[in-house]
Amino acid sequence: MHIDLQTVCRVFEDVLSGSMSREQADRWAYAVVQQEEAGVVTYAPPRERERIWAGVMYLYGVDTMKAPGEYLHSDDDISAAMNAKLGEVVDGEAAMPRGLNQWPSQRLSGMIG
Amino acid sequence: MTVDSHHGVDVAPPLDNRVGADAKFERPTSAAVVVPIKQISPAASRSQHLLHELVHQIDRVFFGPFFREKYGRGGDKALENDRIRYYGLIQPANDGGELAGRRYVHEFDTLTGCTRGWHETVDRAGNVRQVRPERNDGTTRHYQFDNSGRYRGSW
Repeated sequence: MHIDLQTVCRVFEDVLSGSMSREQADRWAYAVVQQEEAGVVTYAPPRERERIWAGVMYLYGVDTMKAPGEYLHSDDDISAAMNAKLGEVVDGEAAMPRGLNQWPSQRLSGMIG
Repeated sequence: MTVDSHHGVDVAPPLDNRVGADAKFERPTSAAVVVPIKQISPAASRSQHLLHELVHQIDRVFFGPFFREKYGRGGDKALENDRIRYYGLIQPANDGGELAGRRYVHEFDTLTGCTRGWHETVDRAGNVRQVRPERNDGTTRHYQFDNSGRYRGSW
């Protein structure tokens, strides 16, 4: 499975525009999590792995309700989360320091090894 | 690192099979046989407890790299039953109500290697008020608790 920052950003935007339900976004994110557990997810660009994952983990459970038929999160919550987790996404690149192409533990083990 | 850094998170989703208060037990037909129980000295009990705590700490350190960065940004906790819970960051809900937000919890069983996960909704006092387990069949159900931890019902 291949996932990039733009795809995650688009899911956020689709939820906010109403063209994708929160339940669909949650199931999409759940599928990504399952694939990550299986070790078959590739992130593009690789250095954005942590931001992509942060966006996925927000979308996973975005349909949580506080009462029957009443979502926990408002659209403002989701919009703020999108900005906080994904930041600026421009032409396939994101404003983020380079060199983050692995999980921190992998970077650490690389330094030690 | 603190082990019990989270209060109000000991409310497990109703996934474990436990004997309920209304369970009936089979009555033995023969007379009871009294078996002397070996007394454990307080010192031995304490050392075993410390050993178990040490094992929990080792488990947390050993398994941390596999889960902490993905699921444990909000902390992790070793349980008595050889499981480790990883807490995600709270995703805030700014509705002005008593609920602060939600987080994803990932639990790893160090003995079996099995994992399970659920979404928790927490209030501003840090109490878990709602649990939504991730089920294999894709169905969702919310289990609610009051602010003192009593189960209120599900929907």
